[in-house]
Amino acid sequence: MKLDDDLDRILSRDAEIVPSSGFASSVMDAVRQEASAPPAIPFPWKRALPGVTLAVVAFVSAAILGFDQLRAVVTVPTFPAVQKWLDTAAKSPLIPASGWIVLAVLLTMLSMNLSMRFVSRKF
Amino acid sequence: MSASEDQVDVERVLAGEISAFEGLVRRWQGPLVNLAYRFCGDRSRAEDMAQEAFLRAYRALGGWRKDAAFSTWLFALATNLYRSELRRIPARNVSLDDVPEPRDLRAIDGGLEDEDRDRVVRRAVLNLPAKYREVLVLFYFHEMDVSAAARSLGVPEGAVKARLFRGREILHGKLSQLLTGYCLEEA
Repeated sequence: MKLDDDLDRILSRDAEIVPSSGFASSVMDAVRQEASAPPAIPFPWKRALPGVTLAVVAFVSAAILGFDQLRAVVTVPTFPAVQKWLDTAAKSPLIPASGWIVLAVLLTMLSMNLSMRFVSRKF
Repeated sequence: MSASEDQVDVERVLAGEISAFEGLVRRWQGPLVNLAYRFCGDRSRAEDMAQEAFLRAYRALGGWRKDAAFSTWLFALATNLYRSELRRIPARNVSLDDVPEPRDLRAIDGGLEDEDRDRVVRRAVLNLPAKYREVLVLFYFHEMDVSAAARSLGVPEGAVKARLFRGREILHGKLSQLLTGYCLEEA
């Protein structure tokens, strides 16, 4: 307990430092520079949206096609475990439902974006 | 330091009068630089960190919702920045084993010299793992006010108390030998 009191006493009287004389003006210079700088250009989501959507669709299609190709190639009996895994994965309801999954992800992102805008009152 | 002065200055800045921000800087430069100094132990770096904190405060001024004091908001913002700064570039830590022996381990009356003892304790605090160091720094910066430290860190008071306890335990382990002589002498 005495040691606690001792730590309290030592750490409470931690040396105070005084900011250098030019500190406030240096901060104000930085603030004025910041204020005079042109506002950051926001990312053009509206323009990018078709491209992004296309890229997502292309990526998902490529993934599905690639998966099928891989299944066709890996039929070598030396990799029965891989073959078994691919067959199981192909039967999984996730593969045919991937389009819906992508759509759900996009809708989630859209609703998140909208709610963030509402919260930050920029809408 | 008047809360209403802060509010008036903030409103003026938000209305486009940038020079009103200087009032906020002058009122809070001492606490912000000192808080940074307690985090990093380097005067020059402390001023750089405090300047960045003011800049961030300027950018985010519209986000102060006035449901808490301006100082609470400012300290939380600064604490957040200082913590991430120190995660990016840690404070120049010196292992306790590397700390040079105090000039005179046992003074004539049997205790460590005050200055040496304080320096060793502060170094030990800077060497603590981040989550204990941050809590200890804020607890003593806010004059041992657990709830103020919790608000600055954005964690529950219970977490602050638990980390304080653990942080002190670690310090005990590191410092007991050094401070025992001093305690006995004081008793």
